[in-house]
Amino acid sequence: MAKPKIAVLCCNYTNSATDEDFKDFPCEIVIKRFPCSGSIEIVDILKEFEDDAEGVLVCGCEKEKCHNKTGNLRAEKRVLGAKKYLEEIGIDPERAQMAFVPRLDTGAFVETVKDFVEKILNKR
Amino acid sequence: METRSHLEKILKKGHFAVTCEMGPPKNADIEILKKKTKILKGYVDAVNITDCQTAVVRFSSFASAIIALSEGLEPVMQMTCRDRNRIGIQADLLGAWGLGIRNLLCLTGDHPKFGNHPQAKPVFDLDSIQLLSLVKGFKEGRFINGEEIKGEKPNFFAGAAANPFADPFEFRVKRLAKKVRAGAEFIQTQIVYDVERFKRFMELAEEEGLLDKVYILAGITPPKSFGMVRYMKYNVPGLMVPDELLKRMKEAKDPKEEGINIAVEIIQQVKEIPGVKGVHIMAIEWEEAVPEIVKRAGLHPRPMEPEIQPPFVVEKVVEVEKIVEKPVEKIVEKVIEKPVEVIVEKIVEKPIEVEKGLEGEEEMDKIKGVSIEFLIEMITNLKAGLKNLQSGMEHIEETLAEIEKQLLGRKPKKIEKVFRKIEEIPEKKVEKIAKEERKEKEIKEIKTEVKVEAKPEIKPEIKVEEKPKEEKEIRKPKKEIKEKVEDIGKTGFKGTYRDLKTRAEGLSEDLYIDKSSGKIVEVEIGKGEKAFKVGGTEVLPFYSFEGNTGQPLKIAMEILDIVPEDWPETLTKYFSDVFHDPGLWAKKCVEEYKAEAIGVYLIGTDPNFKNLDVKHAVEVVKKVKEAVDVPLIIWGSGNAEKDVEVLREVAEVIGDRGSVIGPIVEANHRTLGATAIGYDLPVVASSPIDVNLAKQLNILLENVGVNLDKILMDPSVGALGYGIEYTYSVMERIRIAALYAQDIKLQAPFICNVGREVWKTKEVGLPTDDLWGEAEMRGIMMEAITTVCLALAGGEIFIMRHPKAIELAKILFNSLS
Amino acid sequence: MIVAERRHLSEILKNIEPYNKVLILGCRGCVAICSTGGDREVEIIATALRIARKRQGKPLITYEATLIRQCDPEYLANLPELMKDAEAVVSLACGVGVNLIADLYPDIRVYPGVDTLFFGANTQLGVWQEKCRGCGDCIIDLTAGLCPIARCPKNLLNGPCGGSQNGKCEINPENPCIWHLIIERLTARGELDKLNEIWEPKDWRTYLGESPRKRIREDLIKNNKREG
Repeated sequence: MAKPKIAVLCCNYTNSATDEDFKDFPCEIVIKRFPCSGSIEIVDILKEFEDDAEGVLVCGCEKEKCHNKTGNLRAEKRVLGAKKYLEEIGIDPERAQMAFVPRLDTGAFVETVKDFVEKILNKR
Repeated sequence: METRSHLEKILKKGHFAVTCEMGPPKNADIEILKKKTKILKGYVDAVNITDCQTAVVRFSSFASAIIALSEGLEPVMQMTCRDRNRIGIQADLLGAWGLGIRNLLCLTGDHPKFGNHPQAKPVFDLDSIQLLSLVKGFKEGRFINGEEIKGEKPNFFAGAAANPFADPFEFRVKRLAKKVRAGAEFIQTQIVYDVERFKRFMELAEEEGLLDKVYILAGITPPKSFGMVRYMKYNVPGLMVPDELLKRMKEAKDPKEEGINIAVEIIQQVKEIPGVKGVHIMAIEWEEAVPEIVKRAGLHPRPMEPEIQPPFVVEKVVEVEKIVEKPVEKIVEKVIEKPVEVIVEKIVEKPIEVEKGLEGEEEMDKIKGVSIEFLIEMITNLKAGLKNLQSGMEHIEETLAEIEKQLLGRKPKKIEKVFRKIEEIPEKKVEKIAKEERKEKEIKEIKTEVKVEAKPEIKPEIKVEEKPKEEKEIRKPKKEIKEKVEDIGKTGFKGTYRDLKTRAEGLSEDLYIDKSSGKIVEVEIGKGEKAFKVGGTEVLPFYSFEGNTGQPLKIAMEILDIVPEDWPETLTKYFSDVFHDPGLWAKKCVEEYKAEAIGVYLIGTDPNFKNLDVKHAVEVVKKVKEAVDVPLIIWGSGNAEKDVEVLREVAEVIGDRGSVIGPIVEANHRTLGATAIGYDLPVVASSPIDVNLAKQLNILLENVGVNLDKILMDPSVGALGYGIEYTYSVMERIRIAALYAQDIKLQAPFICNVGREVWKTKEVGLPTDDLWGEAEMRGIMMEAITTVCLALAGGEIFIMRHPKAIELAKILFNSLS
Repeated sequence: MIVAERRHLSEILKNIEPYNKVLILGCRGCVAICSTGGDREVEIIATALRIARKRQGKPLITYEATLIRQCDPEYLANLPELMKDAEAVVSLACGVGVNLIADLYPDIRVYPGVDTLFFGANTQLGVWQEKCRGCGDCIIDLTAGLCPIARCPKNLLNGPCGGSQNGKCEINPENPCIWHLIIERLTARGELDKLNEIWEPKDWRTYLGESPRKRIREDLIKNNKREG
């Protein structure tokens, strides 16, 4: 069976992780970077599901730490919005999640992704 | 004395009337109704039968009234407008009159939302006042449509409700007057607990002259428990419960007994109020309490026995007659023999099987119609309300995020696309320069008009490379980028303009030429050799094919009266050597960067910033004036009061130079307008980005004597990504109004204070990085693009900061003019 | 504008179940402004529907388009072209758009993607409030511009009813009692006397009596041709 795929949509400034950081993961991690998590749209999240992602994690900076003040909070709203659509089409809304991670802390970012991956894989 | 009903007779004879309310059951059992009437008979003059109160489906008011009638108790039939349109209402009223119902209470009715069928379509074809008019019309022998009633006409003793405790208080009496005029002959009020307020209401009614025209019955409800009064106080709109009453019920050992006491006391109090002709006791689902209240209040026995005309069925069916008469007597005896408590107890023991429900809630049901259903409904609504609020917040956030997205650029994917486009354009240009442009469509041709002037081999790279093609390529040596910033000055654009006539060969001119009939006023700025004029255009920006474009566009360079604190390094590096002396700074702008005018921004005088005094401002302006000979634009801090102080003195210094002063706003237009006239100076008229406000300020200035040829309009501009589209739209509309709608008061040139807006944005301050590209070029582009956009919207003179941005803008202006 | 709310995706999915190729058709009019059926929503709904169908093992092909207005035959003219490959269309326009498509193109299977709510104003971001009911007989000249037909739940013409307390409506205390406001405004203008008059029952023919309603301007009709 092909490795499950997990998509991570993140603010560019949360981390500088590379494929190397995820090489031991039991799944394929697709990272998409945005200038700010606030620019992630509902449809961006949905498109990942369309591309067979089993879960989509949106990572923004910690609360109060967003360079654009409230971009991360907006991202959180978008995730909520996406959850509604997912629910309506019978996908567990928990498969889309928002996480707030420290700025430019690749370690913490990788940990967060790991937690999310575990949660999603437990759903299998 | 002719009367239609027993109730009317009681009232007309001047007796204190007693009526009470009776709620029909939520099933089809007429025995329940019969039992209830038996309890009440002899204690009240008439029983008022609710019409599905609180919009809960019940045995109909009409049918219940017939049963009461057949039991020998006179009914007041309630009719609401909630469930029937004017056809249904009239039909039922004809039937009711025909069957012997004589008293009618006309109500609008509770909204279905409060009931057990909130899904129902509310009718409300009429309201209570219109219903009263309808009933009055019946008396006069016509239907509501004006058609005549041929034959028997209903002639009801018509009543209505009034709520002295709802808002707006003063209007309540006026509305009562309306009801009386519409035909109300008696009134039942909302429950009176707040006797004082009720008294005031009655006084107002007297002033209004209503007391002689209508019988007012005060609404009385015995509270049954502390929970019930608390609920009424906080949850029933249009009902006032004094704290004292709450306290009494809370402390009562026997709440029911206390409730009856309270009801009796209130009856005694309202009886003393002039104009109160009776009471209407509302103790639904506690009808047992009514006889006790009536007795204790000294209102029993009732003055007259009713002479009830039973409904026609009784006349024909003998058996029915028996039912009517026999039980009546028995019941009366019972009541008289036994102490009241026992009766109450007894009946409570065998509760009338009307509805089963928690006591508290049933009570609420009676009052204004608050039921379990209502509570459930309320909670559901509350939940729905919260949901709505939440989704509302989401919408706000989304929209904000959308706006922010516009400001901060798009997603990576899309950015790549944009980059690619930018790359392509110069390549095409080069190609076409070589080939000679002709084939492409007009839009593309405009782009191709721009030709490389000096060093064509450098030019294609100008815009391209500072924006990375792919993320991997981002880390380019800074040096390379820097060279490009510097190159801006050395290169330029040159276009060979092929006029529209040539391009539109074969088309008649009137297809593409729409000449305006207005002209923008020319304003002279400065005096002497370096003076220049702005404005004078008769066409929309750059529409040279349509006519005279007026004076060339001008750019002033901005300096500050203090050392700038928030300028990014990418801007300060050009001036840091002269920041200490505004004179030298201005000189550098003119000599090194060829500024045609200098804008002096007296930001240090802002009371909310450094609050420097007038002396400081005068010194700065003096220095600048002595150092350079180009025209000056003196721009105050923007604080309306302080600017008056500062600019007055400054005008004294620069008066002989014909310098522009501003900003003049509505708040200080009189004083600063006078200053400008005194020294014959042009002014900047600043208005908050709105066509009408801009026009109004021009008019105000003209009223104080500042002519339009001394006014530069500052529409309040926004930088790229910070509301530029709004600015653009407002400027465009102002200009179209000025040129095409002959809006003379808008025919002044625009001044756009661009630099200040651009260089305070977050983007110009962000460092060079992979996603955002090179910092300085970013700032330059933002300022240049903002200026060019505003020029396209009609801007005539621009105040800018970055020398390279100015060069870029000039290159474009020159090539298009 | 006409305010609409999007439909639950399961309803849309049920409607398009028999089809494999569906056009999701937005409208740039009112529904775009109230964030229900513009370009953005077309993209989201199309994506969501595709995901749902993919999971059902019956992949769906969507075509996405947004017209300037769906309530105008002119802009609907190229619908057949857009429908070239599609078997059905889910319209995110208000009910007007769906009806007009159904009228003009009896062969096109059109399904509503939104629930049309009311005529409202966007009083703040994310909030739309009903302000007009389109009753066809405007009376707000007499009520200081505030409409009791649209904004009083009982559409009283001789209000306010007894449920008005502290300026709020008893039916939904989030809403002002519109009659309270009317009285306030007229009092301030010294025109409260206007309300002493008893307002006659409304002639509802202009609203429901003769529906579907039609408006005709003879001077605009081409060649005096009237469509039926």
